[in-house]
Amino acid sequence: MEEPQSQKSFRNLIDPGAGFGAFVGKLGDALVKAIDRPLGYAVNWGRIFSLWPVHLETGCCSVELGAASSPRYDLERYGVLEAFGSLRQCDLIIVLGTVNRKMAPRLRLVYDQMPEPKYVIAMGACAITGGLYFDSYNVLPGVDNVLPADVHVPGCPPRPETLIQGIMLLQEKIKRDQLK
Amino acid sequence: MSSATDNSAYNNKDNDASLDVNTRSTNAQLPSRSFHVEQLEDRDRYMTLSIGPQHPGSGHMRIIVVVDGDIIVSADPDVGYVHRGEEKMSESRTFVQNVPHIERPVIHDSSNILYSYCLAVEELIGLQTPERAKYLRAILAEIDRIQYTLYWLAILGIFIGHSTMFMWATADRELFVELADMASGNRITHSYIIPGGVRNDLPDVFADKAFKFIDYFERKRLPEYHKIFYDNPLFRQRSEGVGVLSRSDAISLGVTGSVLRASGIDYDVRKREPYDIYSDIEFEVPISKAGDSFARSILPIYDIQQSINIIRQCLAKMPPSGQIRAKLQPNPRGPPGEAYRRVESGRGALGHYIVSDGTPKPYRHKMSVPSVRNLTAMPHLLKGARLADLPVIYWSLNIWPVEIER
Repeated sequence: MEEPQSQKSFRNLIDPGAGFGAFVGKLGDALVKAIDRPLGYAVNWGRIFSLWPVHLETGCCSVELGAASSPRYDLERYGVLEAFGSLRQCDLIIVLGTVNRKMAPRLRLVYDQMPEPKYVIAMGACAITGGLYFDSYNVLPGVDNVLPADVHVPGCPPRPETLIQGIMLLQEKIKRDQLK
Repeated sequence: MSSATDNSAYNNKDNDASLDVNTRSTNAQLPSRSFHVEQLEDRDRYMTLSIGPQHPGSGHMRIIVVVDGDIIVSADPDVGYVHRGEEKMSESRTFVQNVPHIERPVIHDSSNILYSYCLAVEELIGLQTPERAKYLRAILAEIDRIQYTLYWLAILGIFIGHSTMFMWATADRELFVELADMASGNRITHSYIIPGGVRNDLPDVFADKAFKFIDYFERKRLPEYHKIFYDNPLFRQRSEGVGVLSRSDAISLGVTGSVLRASGIDYDVRKREPYDIYSDIEFEVPISKAGDSFARSILPIYDIQQSINIIRQCLAKMPPSGQIRAKLQPNPRGPPGEAYRRVESGRGALGHYIVSDGTPKPYRHKMSVPSVRNLTAMPHLLKGARLADLPVIYWSLNIWPVEIER
């Protein structure tokens, strides 16, 4: 028995052909793209100005991090405030200089406990290549084998201005992040 | 039968699980520790806490604390997180090449740790330091002592929850960092003192700026520290009578520096064994007889005032011009022998022991650092203290953890 014309058109409306499905898919993509840009911009904007570094001192560059947090350089105006609370609330780890064999597993453990998204700044020559301690028996030649570093800040130790520049470079990098 | 053995095994496991997880793991890792919770009869009372290395109050090290409720039963410092093998590295570098890495253990007190190394090397090689260089060395050493002390005070402030002290001390420290930057070209690791003298002369405007900064700091800032921090009833309650180190304990534990002077012993290497120009300079050694955390916290502030006096005298007495370093051969070497020289650093007596076999490189180099000596008093002081007093006792001991491990 044939369906009435009215019901047939109704079914066509509900279950259209392949062409219409493709059209809807493309529309969805376009919608995602349209939302992705402004939403991603908003999310990244939020992340840029609230970077919370973990308080883990691996070497002597912590003195210059302290100086960068001081009123003269005031790292807090870039939204970076050292988190004295839990590392579950942190999204940045600044590797403060030398990483040795005893510290490296702990450093990785701390990094693995941090929630996504997380960023790493390798501060000082020791964190980049081992620096002055390239021939020491207990120092790793750079932190890159332990953590994926986003920004390398050179110097031994880097001046606070250099650290601030490194943080601004990281902010530029976060700005270009794609929302997943 | 089998069920009974299963049951007992289960019971044992259950007993173990009721203990803290850290107790078992740390005992397994460190079998030679002096204190074992598991050997105690009433072991369920105790809990083991691991403070550090990722902890705001621990610095670069870890403290394994066993507590009975709120009272600390045993505290065991676990060091080695920054050990870099400086002493072994010295053996593969010449005496002059050693200069940059020797100041890294205490980068904010770098002139003092380098000072004693240079004195020892000069004794080995047989170098005469020019008169003007001696004054320049003393100026930089005192500037570093001041900026080290201010950074230490900032850390002490923030870890007992006093953020204002962190902000003020780090801001005032920048004045002295700027002076050192002006003299040497680097903020904290200046490598300014080298064997045979200093690296370069002061710029012309240094003296004017130094007097300006010092006057400002002494007249405007130092009295404020007493108002906001030392006369603060909260800080007084937390530090007075906490962690008292008696005079005899201070001697038998071998602490140095402000910790020793806080226990009533008048000991300063600059007075006892004056090196370079310190015999010509007038200054006092402040001491206290209380021996508690408050005395240990306030004595470095009086040391700062003496350092300011020393800088003033040096700038006034310094020869206006002259040679600033002795002539050095490309690879200086001396006859086989040994030398041990020490200076008073921001934390206490700091010495370098160097053995030479006649080659341009040291045969053996040993650093005798004050942080280790002051750390030995920590387990003694923490035993019986409350857990909340740990930051005050720990940081009032004037320890820089990187220096412990070298």
